[in-house]
Amino acid sequence: MKKQCKTLPVLLLALALLTGCFSSESTTGVQSADSTRYKVALVAKSTQTDFWKAVFVGAEAAATEYNMDLTIDGPETEEDYEAQNEMIAQAVRNGAQALVFSAIDFDANAPAIEEAAKQGVKIVVIDSAVNSESVATYIGTDNYGAGQMAAEAALDGVPGSLKVGIVNYDVNSANGQDRERGAVDAFAKSGRAEVVATIHTLAEATSAQADTLEMLRAHPEINALLAFNEPTSVGAARAVEELQLHNALWMVAFDSNLVTVDALQTGVVDALVIQNTYEMGYFGVESAYKLLTGQRSEVEKHMDTATRIINRENLFALDSQKVLFPVS
Amino acid sequence: MKRRYRSPRTAPLIVALITGVAAVTLALCVAAFLRSYRASVVQGTRTSSAQAVSQVVGTVSNYVDTLEETVNDVMAEMDTPTESRDAYLNAWLNARSEVVAVTTYDEAGTLQECWALDHTPRTKILRNLSFDLNMAELYGDGYISSPHVESIFEGYYPWVVTVVRAMPAGSAVHWVAVDVRFSGLGASINGVGIGQHGYCYLMDEHGNMVYHPQQQLLYAGIKSEEGARLAQLPDGTYVEDTVIYSIQDVPDSNWRVVGVSYIDETVNDSFWQMVRVTLVTSALILAAALLAGWIISRLLSHPLQRLERAMEQFEQDADGFAFQPVAGTREVQELSDSFGHMVGRIQRLMTTVREEEINLRKTELKALQAQINPHFLYNTLDSIAWMCERGKNADAVKMVHALARLFRISISRGHELIPIEKELQHAESYLLIQKFRYKNQFTYHFTVDENCLHCLCNKITLQPIIENAITHGLDLMVEPGHIEIVVCADGEDILFKVVDDGIGMPPEQVAKLLKNEPSDRTGIGIKNVNDRLRIYFGPQYGLSIDSVPDEGTTVTIRMPRVPEDREGDYEKTM
Repeated sequence: MKKQCKTLPVLLLALALLTGCFSSESTTGVQSADSTRYKVALVAKSTQTDFWKAVFVGAEAAATEYNMDLTIDGPETEEDYEAQNEMIAQAVRNGAQALVFSAIDFDANAPAIEEAAKQGVKIVVIDSAVNSESVATYIGTDNYGAGQMAAEAALDGVPGSLKVGIVNYDVNSANGQDRERGAVDAFAKSGRAEVVATIHTLAEATSAQADTLEMLRAHPEINALLAFNEPTSVGAARAVEELQLHNALWMVAFDSNLVTVDALQTGVVDALVIQNTYEMGYFGVESAYKLLTGQRSEVEKHMDTATRIINRENLFALDSQKVLFPVS
Repeated sequence: MKRRYRSPRTAPLIVALITGVAAVTLALCVAAFLRSYRASVVQGTRTSSAQAVSQVVGTVSNYVDTLEETVNDVMAEMDTPTESRDAYLNAWLNARSEVVAVTTYDEAGTLQECWALDHTPRTKILRNLSFDLNMAELYGDGYISSPHVESIFEGYYPWVVTVVRAMPAGSAVHWVAVDVRFSGLGASINGVGIGQHGYCYLMDEHGNMVYHPQQQLLYAGIKSEEGARLAQLPDGTYVEDTVIYSIQDVPDSNWRVVGVSYIDETVNDSFWQMVRVTLVTSALILAAALLAGWIISRLLSHPLQRLERAMEQFEQDADGFAFQPVAGTREVQELSDSFGHMVGRIQRLMTTVREEEINLRKTELKALQAQINPHFLYNTLDSIAWMCERGKNADAVKMVHALARLFRISISRGHELIPIEKELQHAESYLLIQKFRYKNQFTYHFTVDENCLHCLCNKITLQPIIENAITHGLDLMVEPGHIEIVVCADGEDILFKVVDDGIGMPPEQVAKLLKNEPSDRTGIGIKNVNDRLRIYFGPQYGLSIDSVPDEGTTVTIRMPRVPEDREGDYEKTM
C-alpha cells in the first residue's frame, strides 16, 4: 500500500512528460506548413516604363523575401484611372489582403480605395498619393523636394536669367503637381528665373514630344526645360534633339531609362532627377507585409525614398551605376 | 500552538516538492540540451558553410580558368590577319554569350578596336569603365576589374567585370580587355544555400561585390554586406554572435567567396520549441503533482485530519466521545486503531475512577451515619432524663419519638435517595430536639411546595446545614433567632433554602466550610453534602452559601426534580 502510493505519482509524471513531448511536437509540425501566404496586389500607373519595371523588381524581391503572393497590374496608359479602379476591385475580389497602389488621379481613385479598405484590405500608397484616409502609409519620393532639386539643377546649369519651360503630365496626378510646385517655388525664390510656359501632356513619349516641340517653337526664348516623369522626359528629350537645342537649352529630366541616360551622355539632357524606384517597390511590399502581420507600429505614415541628381560628372560613379542600372 | 500553524500541510508540501524538483530538473535538462544543441548546430552550420563555399570556389575557379584560357585564345588571335581574327572573335562571342565585349588599347590607354555582338561603341565615349590605365600599369600583366556597367555602348548598360591582359611585347595592341557578364556564374552561386537563409556571394579582394544573389537590394541600399571588413580577414570560418561567415579565396584571381549563414533561426526555432515543450510539460507536471497531492491528501492527510479532529473532540468531551475508526493507509489505520484502543481504555478508567469515588463517599457516609455525633446523643439523652425527672413526661415522649424518627430516617434501609417529605421530617425531628436543648432559643418554620413532597432527595441534606445555622448562627445570639426552611420548585430543579437571622459568617469562613470537612467534630459536614450532590447529579448542582455578617446566612441547595419512580436513574451502584 505504502509503496504503491509513492510510485503512482512518479508513473503519472513520466506519462505526463511523454505526452507533453509528443503533443507539442505534433502541434509545431502542423505550424510549419506554410498555408498562410499573404496575397498582395500591386496596382501601378503603368507596366511599360523602366521606372515601373524597376518598382516591380523591388516589389518582387520583397515578396520573395517575405514569402508572399504578389500580383502586379497596371493600365495601358498613365491616364486611365478607371482601369485602375477596376483593377483594385478585381484584386479585392481575388482575395488580396493588401494593396500597394500608385494613384493616377488623386481624387478619382479615392472611392475605389475606400471601398477596398472597407473590405479590410490594407492600403499602401507608393509614388503618387490618393485622397483617402484609409491609406496606412505613403512611400515615395518627396515630390515637392524633388521638384526643387530639378529647379536647382537648372539654376546651377544656367547662369544669368532663366526662361523656363515645364513639361508636366496629368493635372490630376498628385506627384506631378507637387513636383511642379516645388520647381516653381524654387525658381521664384531664385529671383532670376521665369516660367514662361507650362504644358500638361499625356504621360506618353510621342504626345510629349509633339507638345514639347510646339511649346519650344512657340517660346524660342526658353533656355531651361523641365520634364517631370519618365515618358514626358523621353518625349521632351526627343523634341530637344529634333530641334538641335543641345547647347542652347539646359534640360532636367525625371527618372532614368535608356533613352534619358543616352541623352545625358550626348548632352541633350543635362541632369536627371533619379528616384529610388527599386526601394519604392521593395518597401511598398514590405510595409504591406508588416501591416498584415500586425506590426503596424513599425510602419511610418510617410516614408520618403531617396532622390538624387545625376549629371555627366557623376553618371558613371559607382553609386550612380548602382542606382541607374538594374542588375539583370 | 503557534508552531503547528506555521508548518505546512503534507499535501501542498508534496505538490510543491514534486513541482519544484521537476521544474528544476526540466530547466537544467532544457538548458543542457540547448547548449549542446546550439554547439552542434553551430558546428553543423560551420561545416556546411565551409562545404558550400568550397563548392562555389570550385565553380568560380573553373569559370576563371576557362575565362583565362579563352582570353589567352583571344590574345593569340590578336596578331593574325584582320579578317580571320574578326571571324574568329565573332564566332567566339557567339559561343560565349556571357562575354559582352572585347576591346583593345594602345600603350596610352586609347581604345583601338571593339568587338561586340549587335553593338558598336559610341563615337564619343563619356567614360570607359572597361579599361583603367593606372590599374593596368600597376599590375603590369593585367587584372580583373570590380563590377561596373558597360559604358561604351548606346542603350546597353549591362553589369560586367573586365579581364584586362597585357599583350606580349611586339604586338600591335598593348592591352586586351574582355568584358564578362556573370549571369552563368550567378546561377551557380544563387543555387547554393546554407541552412534556411544562408547564401554565398562573390567579392573582390577589396570587398567590392562581384556577384550577390540579392545584388539589386544591395545596390538600392536596402541591404548591406560587410564586404570591406570581411576582406581584411584571412580564409577561414568565423562565428560571430548569430552569423557564420566562411571566406575562401578563388585561386588565380583576386576574388573571394563568402558564405553567410545564420545560427539564430535554427537555434531560436528549437529554443522556442523547447520552451513550448517545457511549458506544456510543466503544466502537465503541475497537474500530475496536484493529482499526486490529491491522492496523498485522500490517503494520508484527510484521515490524519479526521483523526486530529477526533482527538480534539475527545479532549473536550471525553465522556460523551464515541470513536469512529478512520480509514486510510496502513499507518493511518494503525494509528486510528491505537487511538481507538486508547479512547476505550481512558473511558473505562474514567468510569472506574468515578465509581470508586462514589463508593468512597458511600462508605464515608455510612461510617459517619454509624458514628452519629455522640455528644448530640448524650445531650439528648441527658435532656430526656432531665425531663423525666421533672415529670415532663409528655415532652420526654416527644423527644424520644423525635430521636427515634431521626435515627430511622437516617438509616432509611440503606437508600441514599429518600422522599423530600421524609427528609423534612428528619430535619424537623432534629430541630425539635435542638429546640428543647437550646431552651427555645430559636424558632423555626417550614415553607414547603406541596408538589415537591414526593420527589426524592439525598438523605441527611438539611440536617448538617441546620446544625451549622444553630451552632454558628444562633447559639451565640442573645436574642432568640429564627430558622426558615423553604422547599420550592425552580423550573426542572428543586431548591432547598435554609435561612437564619443569626450573626452570619465572613467570606473566608464560608469558603472554609465548602472546602474542608470539619476535623474537630464527627458527623456529616456541609462539604460532604455538597460533594454527594455533585457526584449524584453533576457539577451544576450543589449548594451555595450567601452570608452577610450580623444579618444572617442563606444556604441554597439546588438539585434536580427526581420523581419517586425515577429513583433507579440516580441510585447507580449504591
